[in-house]
Amino acid sequence: MFDQITEQLPLFFSYHNLVFILQAAGRTLSMTIIGCSVGFFFGFIIAVIRQSSSRPLLIFRLLSIVYVETFRRIPFLVILFIVLFVIEPLMPGTSLFGIATVSVCLLSTAFLSEVIRSGLESVPAQQIEGARALNFSALQTLVMVVLPQSWKVIIPPAAAFIVMFIKDTSLASQLGVIELTFAGKMLVNRGFSSVLGFGVVLICYFALSYPLSRFAAYLERRLASS
Amino acid sequence: MDYTFQFTEVFKELPYLLGGALVSLQIAFITFWAGAFIGIFGAVAKVYGQRVSKRIASSYVTFFTNTPALVQIFLLYYALPDAGVLLSSMSAVLIGLTLNAGAYLTEILRAGVISVRRSEMEAATALGMSRLQILRHVMLPHIAKTIYAPLSNFFVWLVLGSSLAALFGVEELTGRAINVSTANLRSSETFTVVAAIYVILTILASSSLALVGRLAFRVKAKVF
Repeated sequence: MFDQITEQLPLFFSYHNLVFILQAAGRTLSMTIIGCSVGFFFGFIIAVIRQSSSRPLLIFRLLSIVYVETFRRIPFLVILFIVLFVIEPLMPGTSLFGIATVSVCLLSTAFLSEVIRSGLESVPAQQIEGARALNFSALQTLVMVVLPQSWKVIIPPAAAFIVMFIKDTSLASQLGVIELTFAGKMLVNRGFSSVLGFGVVLICYFALSYPLSRFAAYLERRLASS
Repeated sequence: MDYTFQFTEVFKELPYLLGGALVSLQIAFITFWAGAFIGIFGAVAKVYGQRVSKRIASSYVTFFTNTPALVQIFLLYYALPDAGVLLSSMSAVLIGLTLNAGAYLTEILRAGVISVRRSEMEAATALGMSRLQILRHVMLPHIAKTIYAPLSNFFVWLVLGSSLAALFGVEELTGRAINVSTANLRSSETFTVVAAIYVILTILASSSLALVGRLAFRVKAKVF
């Protein structure tokens, strides 16, 4: 086994293979970044809707509860399949990368909205009442009172979830998106030892998510003490 | 767009799919307890261990929590035969998910181990409590309160995570859904039904876990 690996090493780490792996890593990363940005945006809206107590928003509140509870309880693989089978007939010609990114968005919206909601809830109710007594509008209360205090609670678990989404994108290889896991499979299919192929992919994933989880742990320590 | 949804085709296969749900639950159950076994050792090593065992436990946790379970199982399934170990797809999935669960449960259980304060244990000893009494009345309430909710969330996560076993040909819920959809060609209906089964299954799991927690450990765990 080791003879085979050492024999293949120079061929494996040729320039074009490295470019191929780096491009795949870039695709993994961009799926995660797009998914998380969209997830933060819509997750924030959902969290604010769930926090509000106005009557006209009741229907949206119910819908967002249903959305969050559904998508937190479906495996990512099944979300991928559903999105594939729904988008493909509606918009033929959508790239597989787009389908996978939409799935990551759906998943991250559900999870990040819960994180943001617990952050918003961490602000004591008296402060919101106080802001209302000072004639702050709802938007002003959110921007000037709630958010400055809640981002500390939001960021550390959100970073942990982003690490989870990086790992979840590996399932998109099953659709045929050429991201890291798929690149590993292709290299192994081309005859490289599977220890080498999947091992390098594993190291790439580690290199992507380890700095982020260290950052999350650092923030948690840093923000907890203050 | 003139597509008529035909759910009857899927509902014919419902018993087969529900059997798959049972397999998913079994995978989650086995990996949970095996992972908890690893996790107890890991947590104790991380909190009370010597330098070497601490180092080993924390590098195990960082490695397994920062890499995808799918690729780990790929390595177990496709790379171990090079070293002369041939695993069946089911055992590769079980081993991979167990190692993964062990890493996460180490972190969860560590929080529980930390939550017991040494001064409280000393106070209990000073009051003349026996070891069993200390475990029952001093340690367990603290541990249960800190780790019960994350543990039940993690069990739900394992039920969902077991879906990747389908990619190795294990016939659990997602695997059977793939089988059904390739046979009846009603893919979107089949996967909608399967998603609903997953939602119902996990809601049942977390509400029964919350009930057990409330009755046995007096922990107020939220379902939603």
